[in-house]
Amino acid sequence: MQLELPATPAIAEARVSRRVLALCIPDLPLQRVLRAREAIPERGARANPRVPLAVERDGRVVACDAEARARGVRRGDALVQARAACAELEAVPADDGKDRSALEGLAEALLALSPAVEIAWPDALLLDASGAHLLAREGTDGEGELAARAIALAADLGLRCRAAVASGRATARALARHAPAPTPVVHEGGAGDGAAALAGLPISALDLPSPLEERLLALGLGQVRDLSRLPEETLAHRFGAAGLAAWRLAQGIDPSPLVPYVPDRLPEERLDLEAPIESSGPLLFGLKRLCDRLAARLGGRGLGATRLTLALRLDPRRPGNEVRLEIALAVPSSDASRWLLVLRERLGALQLPAAVAAAVLGVAEAAPARAEQLALGDRPEQYAALEVVLTRLAARLGDGALFAAQLMDRHRPEAAYQAGAFAGGRRRNAKAGKGRRGRGEDGRPGDEAMEAGLPISALVRPTRLLPRPQPLVALGEGGRLTALRVGTRTLRVLALSPAERLTSEWWGDPFDRDYHRARIEGLGDCWIFRDAGDGRLWLHGFFD
Amino acid sequence: MPENTREIRETIDGLREEIRRIERRPPQRACFTSSGRPEIDALLPGGGFPRGALAELAGGPASGKTGVVLSALAHAMGTKGLAAFVDGRGELYPPAVTSFGVDLARLLAVRPIAPERGACESVRYALWAAEALLASGAFEAVAMDVPVERVRAREQIERVRAREQIERARVSALDAASLDRMFLRLRAAAEKGGGVALWLGLPQGARVPSAARLELSAGAAGVQVRRAFARGAAGAPLTEWQGTSPCPSPSLDASHAA
Repeated sequence: MQLELPATPAIAEARVSRRVLALCIPDLPLQRVLRAREAIPERGARANPRVPLAVERDGRVVACDAEARARGVRRGDALVQARAACAELEAVPADDGKDRSALEGLAEALLALSPAVEIAWPDALLLDASGAHLLAREGTDGEGELAARAIALAADLGLRCRAAVASGRATARALARHAPAPTPVVHEGGAGDGAAALAGLPISALDLPSPLEERLLALGLGQVRDLSRLPEETLAHRFGAAGLAAWRLAQGIDPSPLVPYVPDRLPEERLDLEAPIESSGPLLFGLKRLCDRLAARLGGRGLGATRLTLALRLDPRRPGNEVRLEIALAVPSSDASRWLLVLRERLGALQLPAAVAAAVLGVAEAAPARAEQLALGDRPEQYAALEVVLTRLAARLGDGALFAAQLMDRHRPEAAYQAGAFAGGRRRNAKAGKGRRGRGEDGRPGDEAMEAGLPISALVRPTRLLPRPQPLVALGEGGRLTALRVGTRTLRVLALSPAERLTSEWWGDPFDRDYHRARIEGLGDCWIFRDAGDGRLWLHGFFD
Repeated sequence: MPENTREIRETIDGLREEIRRIERRPPQRACFTSSGRPEIDALLPGGGFPRGALAELAGGPASGKTGVVLSALAHAMGTKGLAAFVDGRGELYPPAVTSFGVDLARLLAVRPIAPERGACESVRYALWAAEALLASGAFEAVAMDVPVERVRAREQIERVRAREQIERARVSALDAASLDRMFLRLRAAAEKGGGVALWLGLPQGARVPSAARLELSAGAAGVQVRRAFARGAAGAPLTEWQGTSPCPSPSLDASHAA
């Protein structure tokens, strides 16, 4: 025997009263095409803005711009008919894959505003607005603020939207489709109160299955109010479950949950150029748009890029027509301006064999971009400036050219330090933080003490160490060193310190040297050593 | 207790600066930073190295100029600041740096040395890096040790060779004029960033548009420092100071037998 538990009022309320923000992107295929063209430099100057534009699918116009509409082109017209009305009409074929990518990109960016975003193909996104009250401020309501932010974010990505907030997916979506742009519609009513808001909308706003919609229209039910006035039982009797569902939608009752979109790969953005570009300036103009979009998508997911890839497709008439750049970033970042700085550096140093016909910018590697907890006295702008300059330097000079030195417990002077990552003193090196007391990383003694600087400060070391020791010739009398021949010059030795013997560790390359600090006339204090192996003298550094 | 008083003063200054930052007013930095050695500060106009301007320390390979620079870096860094050292010669030896009070974790070393680039390009990259570091404003002090004299020597060799072979003069890509332009850019970057910019040069090296120039030379008794040039008071040496080497020095024995 199966027990059917009655839904508690709280659960029932939660199921039906979920607030949903619907964003509808009217004429998405057309907006996508226009957005791609805006990203192309010089397009605006070269192209005639008055050329009417339409997007067609299977020989029929699915969207057209205001210029085309002014010339009599209508959505649904046959292409031949549209061309008859407007001879100079430019028809672009529809591309569902690119439209879907555009919707997915916007959905990713909107994850910054809502925990769940559903893609309602072909032209809408549905956001969970149940936490919008947290955005409420004095004089504004949270849902209106959320809708305004979503519209602004979409506008930043080059897409114009209509927005509506209501209880239930279908109600919000229907209201958004028929909302007066750009003001968002916020329907305050709870579950079941949507009938009044939907009453004046056409039946097509409910997005019913086509056969049912056609039958309702055939019965003369043109508006939602006509449907909602009918008795529930009659509809159930005549149209079955589909009729009942349509009636519930007309009443504004839609307890179905959102189906959240979960991005399954790192984003990339593409820029197709109609005419190949030869100089880096216009290319950077286009790349800026790509960076903005990509950063918004990544930022919505709470990630920061650590490595970017830029593929430049060169003029296809030339052989070897692709150049790929890998761009490593100093810290995870979703800041488009920082990416652009690095791209500018890399492109500035690049000599392309042919003009660029297309560019694909992608995130190859990403890491969580953690919000920084600042303390009193911290300088966030200084950190930002530091990251920018480190990124620029690393991009131009290579990662190995920048380092923070870490002292090592080695007898050989050349190995007494190693290059480590520079973290601006904010993070301690993991190895240094976990160092074993009195033992080095490989078990040898003294690393910790060396990090504290004790033995080194006790010793005297030159400020400059020559990359390669220079040979010296010793001149003396009676066993005393009186002069040194450095190259072709003979210089008098004024003073000499006692020897400091440095020998190799038992595990390292063997060496045996006696180091002296010598004050040499006309040169200053130098660090010289006598190699015990062959007895020769070498100049190794300067106490500069 | 002077030490305690100094800490309190630093804390109050820090809080003032914090309020200034919150109120979005421009930071108020001291115009000069001490070199860490009072004798050298006494030689410098304003009592220290100027901020937002280039200062030059010229001297031979063991004249003590690097020690003065490291001491100044340590002073400019304080307890939280950052400093950078553009090591175009690849000779800076970090084990000695700590003895001047410099925290290695907060010192960015930049070595733009790549043999495949050649001397000319390496110098160009080093100067570019110095300019970027200075202009960023993220560093309290930036020291620059760039071997521009190697490029100049090469340029002279190429000029002579071109004259001898009576062929079209091939001048190095980094000639004197472009070097001067780069120095001017360095000065502008220092003014923009507001940090201390210290140029390490040779006695007869390139002329740097510096606000203060110290000449250091090693003598039998130690290091001799003199102020050779100051903005608004160009001309002959004004003051001289003779002291020991800034490097920690063990006892040197003139009669020691090697």
